[in-house]
Amino acid sequence: MEFLVRGALAGEACAHFTATEPSVKLLENIRQYAFFDMNMVDSGLINVFDMDVLYSWLGLDKASFDLDDVHALIKSIVDIVNTIGVTRLVIDSVTTLCYKIKSEQLIRDFLFTLGKKLATLGCTTILISEITSATENAHWSSFGVEEAIADGIIVMGDAERMGHLLRFLQVVKMRGTAHSRAKHAIELTPLGVMLIPMLKWGASSDKNSRWGQ
Amino acid sequence: MFELDQRIAEQLTQVSLGSAVQVRVGTSNSFMVTASTILPLMQMFEMGGVYISASRGAVEIIQAFEAVGIDVSNIHFLDLVSSGVLGGTDVEYPNITFIDSPIMLESTLLRTLYVLRTVNSQRNFVFLDSVNALAIYNDDRMLAEYLHTFINTFRQREVLSVILNVPDQTPPLVLANLDTYCTDIVDRGQVVLM
Repeated sequence: MEFLVRGALAGEACAHFTATEPSVKLLENIRQYAFFDMNMVDSGLINVFDMDVLYSWLGLDKASFDLDDVHALIKSIVDIVNTIGVTRLVIDSVTTLCYKIKSEQLIRDFLFTLGKKLATLGCTTILISEITSATENAHWSSFGVEEAIADGIIVMGDAERMGHLLRFLQVVKMRGTAHSRAKHAIELTPLGVMLIPMLKWGASSDKNSRWGQ
Repeated sequence: MFELDQRIAEQLTQVSLGSAVQVRVGTSNSFMVTASTILPLMQMFEMGGVYISASRGAVEIIQAFEAVGIDVSNIHFLDLVSSGVLGGTDVEYPNITFIDSPIMLESTLLRTLYVLRTVNSQRNFVFLDSVNALAIYNDDRMLAEYLHTFINTFRQREVLSVILNVPDQTPPLVLANLDTYCTDIVDRGQVVLM
């Protein structure tokens, strides 16, 4: 959300598609942070959409999506981005969305087409992907597809140290940019996310890291 | 009768912002030396800052300062102790932030940086009380690495770091690193006569 707020502060139109929690709850949670200003939503700089509502508009009330449904979904997202002139977009989460797409090939097609169309429109997109213990073998994403298609991968998780959990962030990949690939400890402050490199000697329990939590 | 060590104030006139001062104390003079260091920083140099309390709870330290007439409203306390005490975080002071545990070294550093971004003082210090308390919970190598990062982080930001330790309770590796990276030393460590 801070990614969108920073964009809105620079006068960019931003959009957030939420599939994991209702938009009301999302805004209620983000209100606690000093960097967020509700006027950004009221003035239309930040636009929050519930995926459920989008599905209803498109008549996508079935359990799984076929090729036509996927293309209808892509078209509606692209139309919204185009109409509002969105330059920063967050989809939280593509995992929830992709659960409705049963074929890996179709997931790949969905993400690739969506990414390509949004990039053409000059829109930077953050696709939130969940990594749970059940999908440990998927490496950096739930379906093992998202990581190959995306230009960048930012992994967030918890590192366990003596029974305490430390939040960390790691930029695994960011095409066209020189960047650190080290784990960074992060703190969510009222001013926004702050980070410093994690202590090297404190990372001995890395095997206990909980990716994507 | 509580008496401040005036020579510490004289010595502090020699340090600049961005310096790292190692303050060595004994087991019996810890608070006197702490107060003798904090007071000139606040009154002579008009500094504000962050006090990281790993040896005792922040409330106890605030009350000890207030008892000797030191106003600490311009200092923000990071309390690494009280979260481990049932009801320890239920306090009235608005200038205390609690960190879950002394092992959360990165969180402590991030929280310090956050507080420094929010304070009004132009000149600030970070007072770490104390290295030997952190050594109870943290591995020697990690603590040495933390102090190395700590000193360099604040040096770059022109924030004075003051690092308290009881030398005979501090691991030799950590102490050797402090000797190397600190720019100044106030030595009031206990002298044991055999």
